[in-house]
Amino acid sequence: MTDDKDVLRDVWFGRIPTCFTLYQDEITEREAEPYYLLLPRISYLTLVTDKVKKHFQKVMRQEEVNEIWFEYEGTPLKWHYPIGLLFDLHASNTALPWSITVHFKNFPEKDLLRCHSKDVIEAHFMACIKEADALKHKSQVINEMQKKDHKQLWMGLQNDKFEQFWAINRKLMEYPPEDNGFRYIPFRIYQATTERPFIQKLFRPIASGGQLHTLGDLLKDVCPSAITPEDGEQKTQVMIHGIEPMLETPIQWLSEHMSYPDNFLHISIIPRPTD
Amino acid sequence: VSCSMAREEDFFLEEKRFKQYCEEFVKRSQQIGDGWEWRTSKDLGDGYLSKTHFQVRNRHIPPDLKEKNNDNTEQTLFAHVEEPLDDSQAAGVGGAEEVVRYEYHVLYSSSYQVPVLYFRACFLDGRPLTLDEIWASVHASYQARLQEGPWDTITQQEHPILGQPFFVLHPCRTSEFISAVLGGSQKHHRHTNYIILWLSTVGPVVGLNLPLGYAKLAPEQGTNADSM
Repeated sequence: MTDDKDVLRDVWFGRIPTCFTLYQDEITEREAEPYYLLLPRISYLTLVTDKVKKHFQKVMRQEEVNEIWFEYEGTPLKWHYPIGLLFDLHASNTALPWSITVHFKNFPEKDLLRCHSKDVIEAHFMACIKEADALKHKSQVINEMQKKDHKQLWMGLQNDKFEQFWAINRKLMEYPPEDNGFRYIPFRIYQATTERPFIQKLFRPIASGGQLHTLGDLLKDVCPSAITPEDGEQKTQVMIHGIEPMLETPIQWLSEHMSYPDNFLHISIIPRPTD
Repeated sequence: VSCSMAREEDFFLEEKRFKQYCEEFVKRSQQIGDGWEWRTSKDLGDGYLSKTHFQVRNRHIPPDLKEKNNDNTEQTLFAHVEEPLDDSQAAGVGGAEEVVRYEYHVLYSSSYQVPVLYFRACFLDGRPLTLDEIWASVHASYQARLQEGPWDTITQQEHPILGQPFFVLHPCRTSEFISAVLGGSQKHHRHTNYIILWLSTVGPVVGLNLPLGYAKLAPEQGTNADSM
């Protein structure tokens, strides 16, 4: 039986083979070759694409290069969402490699947050971790940590250092012995078809009688359309890190083992492929 | 008591109470013509307060003006404009001034159990203000605090209902501001509308002011005017 700790490693080291192509209307001095890269599921586009930017800048004039942004089949990709979430939500049932288009012009101000430096990514990442801890521990654990511990979480993510990250993150996954789990579960549910970007609500991992709530319980409570009735055809998939966990899985376990480094469970509801 | 003000640092608001306060707030706003409305989201029935107004911004006021004359600084930096100015009027006021359209939303954060102020701003030609321009336009009195930790105070985030980029005044700072205002005498504030109290405290940081009309008390309350 696989150790639970192996799940943490599998989640951390998940990769998506990606092909980056320069948008055809970008002005280049010579033809731009596509660039191939294995993207970490747990990271953010603007954190791991320095090489992509350098590659395309080589064929462009300096004045044509503005803030980079990415698009998949016409949809601007939100860099502040983890890469694995973006893939599961938009492209999980398509052929690999994932084809992403690279832009340097006409930044879509109304759709995407600006990301002019790594500081912006760090601030966003830390804000998510803090919000997750507000839900899990009323912010007690994150507030007790020193600034260097916060920095270690960010450096662990930035440098792809599993051990460095989890040395601190394990404290955010603990709970008092008298409780059986966190106060509330940090989660967000995404559906590409809605205007609302995600659903997030207060949800307790333990029922009043002491039973563990499951993934199915969460969906029934927060997003009932994702759970099909017994007799109906299952039209949707519930996906986390590229897999469909069993609906009977305790949500507390999922939160401890399948959260992203920002400590949130990012769950995609996508159409089930028909073939 | 659903709004637990038992401890100074804990200003938690349940979502139902938030909606009630917002309802009261909108009614009061309508009475005094302050332009706030409640918008309900179609899918989940949650919602937010919304207000749009135009401000004339003078970007060339030097920062040390705040020491000379505090009252006038705010007026010069954020002259409240009731009617939208068209481009010709704006240009006629003087080269250094420009009109900015501000849109403010008040949403409820279930994670922090407090209201959160979202806003966005753009010039009349549609160009949005950058984060740097927003930081520069923060009221002079708050500049020191902002310099200490800009990343903890105002940042750009995705609006949780609309999915578009907005600027946000961080909730963790909210309890700091509110603690400073309430001090020790919570008893007097049991009947205060939390939204009015909170917004009158944090709004001015980002150019949003509440007219004194919100402070008018209903006859049955009859206590002190400073409970706002």
